[in-house]
Amino acid sequence: MSSIPRNPTQTGVGLRLPHIEEAVATHPPAGWFEVHPENFLSNPHALELLQDLSARYPISIHSVGLSVGSASGIDRTHLARVRAMVDRIDPILVSGHLAWSTHQGEYLNDLLPLPYTVETLAVVVRHLHEVQDGLGQPFLLENPSCYVGFAGSTMTEVQFLNELVDQSGCRLLCDVSNVHLSAHNMGYDPRAYLNGLPADAVGELHLGGFTLEEDAGTPGGGVLVDTHDTTVAPAAWDLYAYAVTKFGPKPTLIEWDNEIPGLATLLHEAAMADAVIARVLAAEVTRAVTG
Amino acid sequence: MLSLAEVQSQLRNAVVSGDVAAVAPLLVGGQDPSGRLGIHRRHYEASLLAAIMGRFPATSWLVGTPWLEAAAADFVRQCPPTAPCIADYGRAFPAFLAARPGREGVAYLESFSEMDWQLGRLSVAVDLPALDVAVLAAVSPETLLDVVLTVQPGTYYAEAMWPIDELIGLYLSDAAPEQVTLAESPVRIEARGARGKLRFSRIASGDFRFRLAVSQGTPLGAAAERAALCDRSFDPGRALAALFNEGLVSDMNVTLSGAV
Repeated sequence: MSSIPRNPTQTGVGLRLPHIEEAVATHPPAGWFEVHPENFLSNPHALELLQDLSARYPISIHSVGLSVGSASGIDRTHLARVRAMVDRIDPILVSGHLAWSTHQGEYLNDLLPLPYTVETLAVVVRHLHEVQDGLGQPFLLENPSCYVGFAGSTMTEVQFLNELVDQSGCRLLCDVSNVHLSAHNMGYDPRAYLNGLPADAVGELHLGGFTLEEDAGTPGGGVLVDTHDTTVAPAAWDLYAYAVTKFGPKPTLIEWDNEIPGLATLLHEAAMADAVIARVLAAEVTRAVTG
Repeated sequence: MLSLAEVQSQLRNAVVSGDVAAVAPLLVGGQDPSGRLGIHRRHYEASLLAAIMGRFPATSWLVGTPWLEAAAADFVRQCPPTAPCIADYGRAFPAFLAARPGREGVAYLESFSEMDWQLGRLSVAVDLPALDVAVLAAVSPETLLDVVLTVQPGTYYAEAMWPIDELIGLYLSDAAPEQVTLAESPVRIEARGARGKLRFSRIASGDFRFRLAVSQGTPLGAAAERAALCDRSFDPGRALAALFNEGLVSDMNVTLSGAV
């Protein structure tokens, strides 16, 4: 029987290819690792190393290519390849994004925005059923980082996510940094966004770095870009503390995908997340004791 | 409101081709939402450009980074990926380069860049358990010609009119000279790789034709015929034993009468 914890309490880090040999050789003190299957499916050597790591660490599989929002349907070949990897690695969680990236046989290598309409809801629900059936397990859906929305949307993103949970049985991966970024870019209250999510459905939290850039057409204005190339911003840490209060401690992950630093930097960020969780829980205990 | 498929078609054109006029009226966000689409367009181009440049390091060394970057940028706009594993993107780039003006003097550009792409694939391959030649003892003489072998996944066969293996060897060494003079000279190359290790060897025309055919799933009898056609001294028994003895065979099946 496996001794790998299925619900890790220590924060994990995104494991990217530059770090995998070091992770196998040194067994760093990470709570768990999350990988993008698309980085491993055409890299048998890396997949072999990941399988070694899965005997020692909880692994989560976070797809960037399943494209549940694509009107042209799910790529079943890709879904079958992800399923084969799931069977091989036995991940604690499998997740993806509320976005689309495939269009009539092309893969656009980005997480593109969706209009929140009844038609889109039906498409994504259908695809979530297909993905969950294909993977043989629940799928966690991550809230997107938004730069634009659609004038024709008839639901807010929070309403849309609630409908998806109700109609598909999916769970949610709440990317706290994305909530902060999207709230800044689209002009809403990030705490109200978190308050509106179905708390029981939230199964994982993400934190990643973003960058402020000049906003086209808005002199002096700024748009936050989800670059994943720097440390987590103070405002995102504050919102993370609020999310932990709201949802309770959940498996949390530090993401860093560009200008990737040494593993020690990622582990330091993970330790900061653990410290936030400890602080929130201590405050709750104090509040309970003092009435 | 347009259908979801129509919206995505217009967004696709904005991201891949920069044509934002059709989608702009649909968007909200900031003072210039269509300008914000530039974030997605920039990510599309930069991430795929980096993927191509990372997949063709030797070609960049050969033709120069600025020329290759310009070609890669055009390729990204004209030939989007067709699958989510970006490590597979660029399979068609060597042919795209060969058709592009500006390096007509580099006659071996397509075969060299093809080899470059394949080396990336071989470097992350993993050898499967090799079959021992003794498995052939279970095959009756009358079915031997119908046997189909599977060769190790980290294997690549290339035939070129120029010694591209020498050029690749120079690139992989730390002592590549500023200028190299190559003489036209046909070569047949077997490249093997597994877990980060690569090696090349040149092989004779008969062995090359035999191994190439076997690696493509041709039954042994037909593979041996092809080899004998180009090399009258080809010895099929020796060639078959060598395949096994070099650990190249990972599976074996019979085409007509079921699995061995």
